[in-house]
This record gives sequence, structure tokens and C-alpha cells, in this order.
Amino acid sequence: MLKAADTLGVVFFPAYDWAISPTHPERQERLLYTQDQLREEGLFDIPGVREYKPDVALAHDVDLAHFTFPGVEEVLTSSHLVSAGGAMRAARLVMEREARRAFALVRPPGHHAMKVVHGTRGFCTVNVEAVMVETLRERYGVRRIAIVDTDCHHGDGTQDVYWHDPDVLFISLHQDGRTIYPGSGFPYELGGPTAMGSTCNIPLLPGTGDQGILHMLDHVVLPLIERFRPEIVINSAGQDNHFSDPITNMNFTAQGYAELTRRLGADIAVLEGGYSIQGALPYVNLGICLAMAGIDASGVVEPQYDPERVKQEQRITDYTLSLSDQLMSYFLDPPAMPKHGKAEGEWFVREKEVHYDTDAIFERQREKVLLCPDCSGVVSIESRADSGPLCLGVQIPPGACDACRERGHEEFETGQRSRNYRRAMLVDRPGRAVKRVLI
Amino acid sequence: MLMGIDVGGTHTDAVLVCRKGLLAWAKAKTHHGDLMRSIREVLTAIAAKAGAKAISRLNLSTTLSTNAIVEGLTEPVGVFVSAGPGIDARAYAVGEHYAVIPGCTDHRGRVTRPLDEARAREHAARCKAAHVSVYACVSKFSPRNPEFEESLRAVVHPQADFVSCGHEFSGQLGFPRRIHTAACNASVWRVFNRFADAVQRAALDFGLMGQVNILKADGGTMPLSVSRSFPVESILSGPAASVMGIIAVCDIAEDSVILDIGGTTTDIALFAEGAPLIEPDGAVISGRPTLVRALKTRSIGVGGDSALSVLEGQVRVGPRRLGPSMAEGGERPTLTDALNVLGRAELGDVSASRRGVNELARANGMDGETLAQDAALAAVTSIRAAVIELTRAVNDRPVYTIYELLEGKRVAPSRVYVMGGPAKALEGLLSEVFPEEVVVPEGYAVANAIGAALSRPTLSAELFADTQRGRMLIPGLDVEQDVPRTYSLDEAQADAAQRLGDYLNQLGVADPEALVETLEAQSFNMVEDGELVGRSIRVKCQVKPGVLPGYREAVRQPC
Ligand SMILES: [Zn+2]
Ligand SMILES: [Zn+2]
Repeated sequence: MLKAADTLGVVFFPAYDWAISPTHPERQERLLYTQDQLREEGLFDIPGVREYKPDVALAHDVDLAHFTFPGVEEVLTSSHLVSAGGAMRAARLVMEREARRAFALVRPPGHHAMKVVHGTRGFCTVNVEAVMVETLRERYGVRRIAIVDTDCHHGDGTQDVYWHDPDVLFISLHQDGRTIYPGSGFPYELGGPTAMGSTCNIPLLPGTGDQGILHMLDHVVLPLIERFRPEIVINSAGQDNHFSDPITNMNFTAQGYAELTRRLGADIAVLEGGYSIQGALPYVNLGICLAMAGIDASGVVEPQYDPERVKQEQRITDYTLSLSDQLMSYFLDPPAMPKHGKAEGEWFVREKEVHYDTDAIFERQREKVLLCPDCSGVVSIESRADSGPLCLGVQIPPGACDACRERGHEEFETGQRSRNYRRAMLVDRPGRAVKRVLI
Repeated sequence: MLMGIDVGGTHTDAVLVCRKGLLAWAKAKTHHGDLMRSIREVLTAIAAKAGAKAISRLNLSTTLSTNAIVEGLTEPVGVFVSAGPGIDARAYAVGEHYAVIPGCTDHRGRVTRPLDEARAREHAARCKAAHVSVYACVSKFSPRNPEFEESLRAVVHPQADFVSCGHEFSGQLGFPRRIHTAACNASVWRVFNRFADAVQRAALDFGLMGQVNILKADGGTMPLSVSRSFPVESILSGPAASVMGIIAVCDIAEDSVILDIGGTTTDIALFAEGAPLIEPDGAVISGRPTLVRALKTRSIGVGGDSALSVLEGQVRVGPRRLGPSMAEGGERPTLTDALNVLGRAELGDVSASRRGVNELARANGMDGETLAQDAALAAVTSIRAAVIELTRAVNDRPVYTIYELLEGKRVAPSRVYVMGGPAKALEGLLSEVFPEEVVVPEGYAVANAIGAALSRPTLSAELFADTQRGRMLIPGLDVEQDVPRTYSLDEAQADAAQRLGDYLNQLGVADPEALVETLEAQSFNMVEDGELVGRSIRVKCQVKPGVLPGYREAVRQPC
């Protein structure tokens, strides 16, 4: 009889009544065949593997991760709160030791949702991992967290949420941004001035297969995690690196994903993208579940699998070898300041433009972080979506020093008095308070 | 007139019910080596009162298949399994004649690698040489395409006395469950059919002309002729009879808990708005899950015969049964003895109970009265804990739509119905630990047999249609047909209901009052390259389990 070596909780929530549009890749059908496969394989009958239903996130949970304008109720639908709640449930399972590991197989995905949210971009509205990470901190006091994003697209949203956070190591493996959405995720993106080296981007050439990704895992991801010493490891488990994915150009297989999952040994995985809903997702998701539970996954092979077709070209192998060396030397000896942005007095300022492709919104941001010697510093973001009103978000990070707490409240009050902003939001993490004002 | 016989673990109960009420009842000891003897005994006692000719229907619940499986009195089965990619199918091996045959069908029922029939023939030859004569053929995703199972059956049919195919049991997915279900079914086929022969003979001897049905785990019945091919469906029909009995005897409309406290175990069932809950995936037989549709019941090792023990000053009840109570000549004090000591029961030799309980108390530095009190309290407390756990699990069950999740109905029992031997004796104590109203129906001792008598045929079916492939299947009813690309969810729902009705007619058990309900109906757009190419339609419906309304008034008791 089969038995899980590590107990696994699977929060499966296919949201069979939600879609962006009837033929959109992110639609009701997306997890249908995964469910068929998991059911048929009898995954949830294996002792040690159990299925759970999601929690539902509250507006307050979202506020800890995002500045949502005009507000959580206006921008998010229930499906987003359920998806984030699914990730929260996974965290709860692991933290309360109901399961050794947990996998939130939920939709819609979240890793393109940035710190400020005005709408949906890259099929994502709320960053479900970020909501989960903030839950881990608020409810369970976890501090150091590593997030490994294995989606084929750069996890630009998660990167943005944790750009100024030295306690979150964010590593993204993805198809080179010059060849695919969202066009970011280059090695010089290393984190903000107070968190340099807590972001790591690993851009891969189109056509990279199992060999290349596993090489990067062994030679960059795992060493960085070891150096960082996180209390918990999270996998943003996007599955669009698969050779059959219709919107990407990689050559990853179900076996590759299972092996990656096994070697990474993440405590929690959260489903991200993956749009080959018949040819890849049923097999990749099964492979990941088995690997997380410590069950042999070697029999999980896609029906269309052809070793010749997914073989990695030599030039790609050469590139991955040199990239891993470069990246490591970069991390061991990083530049003093980020490539983009400039110091203005005590603040470090970065101008940003964000395009919400799904909702056709264009946003301009002026983001600044206080260059504090004692903590990661207050973050203040001024944001305007299209021709809408100017909004302000101020965050006093967890672990902020007293001076920064004071500066954060000051920044928020000055913002209100200035009458420059229509909406303003303050998140005071050490004070466990969130304030929203309409001016 | 309806007759119900419930062959239980200790007693075999029989009742005769007419439209005016309960006409007769009888009780006999269950002879495990010879169930027919017990059945004949109660038949003799009852048939005389009614005149066998007046009995239009005999419903029988039996533990035969369950016992055969639990006691390992089954015969070896040749198992043919076709798996394809996924979890290694060798992990699901049952018995010594198990082979994995190469070939693969995917989740939509498309064959992605042909079946290796030569390998199947080799395995058939090995089985033949080993004198195996019953078989199970199971393939992955057979509810989406039973082709491989049919091919395997064709290979082994010439040498087989009986072949079970996985898709005949359910349209529900669950490959390991399907393997276990088909293999169990084949393994009890012969012993069950001998029993069925004997039942038929006994019916004939008594001049019984009515239809004979066997009770199923989901609280419904199947004709004896059908049970011959699906004996595994008769497992766990004991708890099902109890549950149906409560439905028959009491008018349950709200969320409730049913406790059937027997000699060795307490069976717990839940009702939501008066309807018993069904196990969504299937019953567990000897530790392995199956696709056998069953009422949702939990069993804990607390019953009248549960032995008492003291561990570090803590009095414990069960889970072992070490013989009968001392009041009935046993050697160790039991829960029944404790109830005797407390004056809550008066069963057998009360002084023997007192002696046993006092002795155990002395050995642990307690007095007998306290020990008995603690034991009774421990029993009701663990029953309550199990009820809470089951309710929690039901309310925690996964849902897949936002609507269900946000609007999710929770089961919140307001009454606890108690039946079984120790029911009356425990009533007071149960009332103390349960905040819900505790009810012991008057006829609690034979309610199970009444339940058996009044149960109606049930059937469920899962329909699966793929309009891109132009196919519709209802595996459990052996329906497979072409459908146009325009085939819709409404048509699918109508087809499923229609086919269920047809099948019941075909079995000769058409029930005009039967209510076909749709449990699930979903249609998914299938999109390829941004184009809508078809729909994947899934419908699940059932003939709602229940008791015959015409007789219900007659057996209604104060509850
Ligand atoms: Zn992606
Ligand atoms: Zn500071």
C-alpha cells in the first residue's frame, strides 16, 4: 500500500463558477482535468494526503499585502478572496502541523499583482502568495521567508511587493523577459536599497528544458536559500514552463517539475500559471503533489512526451552554465545601490509605470523608501491610474524602528493635509493598524 | 405485506409490515457459520402469522459479503489492470494473480497507447494454470471509455465463471477504488451466489411468491437477481438498515444524528434536513476504499459488550470486545455490567455484574459505583466526541465553486435519535452530554428490520459527455451513445433521469413514487487555440433513498 512519507494537505479550489471570459486561458475548465486526474489516481485516498477547502480572505488580510485603490471591495471579487484564502489555508495547515507540507491548487493566480492594485494584470488581481506570507507573519510570527517562483513568467508582482523587504528572499526562474510577458526579471534587479540581494532573477532562454532548470536550481536557487536561512520555503508553482503550454516557449516536463519539487522541498506551494490544461496540468500537478508527499512520481509521464522533442540544445546548456556562475558572483558581491532610482535626501526614489494588460489600466507611480540605518525603512507610494485621482500608500514595515514608525505616521498625515491625494492608506505593521481615508 | 429481515452481528430480526402497521416481529441469534439457519428461524416464526402468500416483498440485509471479506473466506481473483502513466499501478495489487497490462486511456477517454492484448493473454494463461476462475478487469479512466475493460473481459471470458468490470460499478473516477471494488466483487461472487440460491430456495419452501431484494449500503435495495452480479453492493447494509429504520419510524425533518448502539460498536449517521448523508466517494472495505455507494456512517468501538479497563486511574470502555458481559456469563466486566450496577439496566444476572465491577474497582483502588459511573460517562463522552468529529468532517468537506463555498450549508444537528440494545439504558447519560434533544424511539429494538422492510430501490448514475468527440456515456448503466455537437446540459440531465428510470423498469422494480434528483450538473467549455471546440458535460443523479410512503404512516411511532 502507498503511504505519504511527508503528510500533504492539498487545498483544491478550481473555482468552477469563475472566469475572466468564456475562452480566456484563465477560465472554468482550467483545473477540470487536474481534478479528473487527481481523483482517478486516488490521490486523496493515500494515507497522509488530504484535501481541504479554502479559507476566505478578509479585506484586512489583503490590506497587509497591498495598497488597493479605491478599496478591496471595489477591485476584488469573491473568487480572489477565495483564492487568497486557499493559500492562507495551506499556510495554516503547515503552521498548525496538520500537514508537513501543503499545496494550494487554487485559481485565479496572483504573482503579477504588485504592491499597489488598481485592477487585474497578467490574469492576477491579488497576490495570493503575498497575502499568505503576511498571514504567516501576522498570525504565526514567521520572519524569514524564501519564495521561489517557478512560473514561466517573471514574478514581477511578488518581486514588487517584497522589493524593500530584506526578510523575504524572492527568486524567480522564468523565460527571458525580452521574449515574453511581462518583460522584466533581469539579473540586475536585486531589490531596493535597503534590501539589496533579497531578490534574484534567473532569466532562461526559450527552449530551456529540465536539465537547464534543474541546473539553476542546484547551482543558484538552493545555495542562495542555504545562505539566506529562511524559516519557511514557498514555491510559486507556475506550470507554464511545460513544453505543451500554449502561451510560452519552454521545454519543461512533468518529470522535471516533480524533480524540481522534490529537490526544492518547499513547505508550501501555491499554484500560479499554467495553461496547457489538458496536456500538462493534470500530470504536472499530480507530479508535484506526489513529490511534496514524498511518494514516487517516476510514473507520471505526459501522453505526448517525446524525449527527442524536449531535448535541450547545447547552446542553451552553455548559456545556463555561464549564467549560474555570473549570478552567483553577482550575489556574493552586489553593487551598492539599485540600477534604477536615485537618492533624494533621506529617501531613495523610483519612478514606475505599470500596465494592467488584462484591465487596460495605465498607472504611474513614485515610490520612495526611507534610507534608514536601523531597519528596512518606511515605504511611501504615490500612484495615479490613468486619469484617476492621485492616491497615497504608506507602509511601516514589520520590524520597523521607532523613528520609522514616527516618520510613517508623519508622512501619512502630511499627505492628508497636502490635499494632493484623493485616497490615502497607512499600514502600520508594528502597531497592527490599517487606516484608509478618503480626502 | 412487506417483510424485512436484518441479519445483524448478534441477532437476526424480522418484521412483517402491512398498511395498517407492524403485524409481527421475530428475533433469533445470528449463527455466523450458517446464516440461513437464522433466516429460516425468523421466517418460520413470522410466515406462519401472515401466510406466506400475502407477502409481496421480502427485503433482506446481510453481513455475508462483509464477513466473507473480513474473515478472508473469499476466493482468489485474477486481476487485469491497465494503467498508463501516473502512480505505479503495482501499488494497488490485490491478491497473487494481479497483472498490469500496458496500454493507456487519458482523462477524456482517448486511447493514447493501445492495450497490449498479448500480455493480457499471457496473464490469463497463468491464472488458468493456477485454477483461478473469477476475474476483475479494470482500466484507468474506464468511466470515460470502457473499451479496455471490455477487451480484457473478452480475453478472459472463455475461462471464467465470472468477470467483474470496473466501469459497471460507478461512473465516478477513482482507479484504486475501482480495482478494489471489482476485485472484492469477484472474490465474494461464489459464496454470495450460494447464499442467494439458499435464500431463493427458502423463499420457495415457505411459499413466498413476492419479490426478494437485498439491501445495499446506501439504504436502497436491489433485486436478488441483480445482487448476484454485484454482491459487493450488499456490504455495510446493516448500518443502512438501522438508518432507514429511523427514517421509517420517526418523522425526521431537521438535521439530526442517528446512533445505533450495538454490542461491539456504535454506528453514527447524520441527516441533513431529514435526508441521510451519503459517503461521496464510497465505502471502505477492510481498510481500503471502494466505489460502493454507502450512507455516511462512522463506527466506534463502544457497545454494550465493550470491555472495561482502568489505565492510570482512568476508566476506559472498549475498543476491545472480550466476550459477553458478566451478566451473561462473560469473564470481564463490560459497559452493560456497569449499566446494571448503576441500575440503568437490568440485563441477565445483575449480581454477577456487581461482582465483576467491584473486583475491577478494588484492583484499582476505587469503589464499584464510581467505576461504573466513570465507565458510563466515558462511553457517552467518546460517542459525543465521535459525533462532533463526524459533523466537523462533513462541514469541512471540499466544495468547488465560489457559490457553494460562500453560501455553504452547514449540518447542525438539533436531535439525536438513539437505537440498539443499550439505547434505553444510556438515554439519560446521553442527554447529559449532548446539548441536542435525545430521542429513543419506542420500537428501537426492531427498527432496523422495519428499515429493511420499507427500503425502496435506489440507483445512481453518472453521465459524462464530450461533445467534441460526440460521445455520451453512463458507465454504471452500460449506456454509450453518439451525441451531436449541440448536445446540451439540459439534454444530459434529461437523458440521465430517463435512463435511470428505464433501468429500474428493466429490473422490474419500477417505482412510480421514486424521485430522481440531480446531485451535480456541470458543463465546461472546451477551448483549443482560443476556439470553442465543444463541451465537457458531467451529470450525477440518483433515485433518492427513502422508505415507502404508503407504509410509513403505519409504522410511525412516538419519537
Ligand atoms: Zn505564467
Ligand atoms: Zn528605521
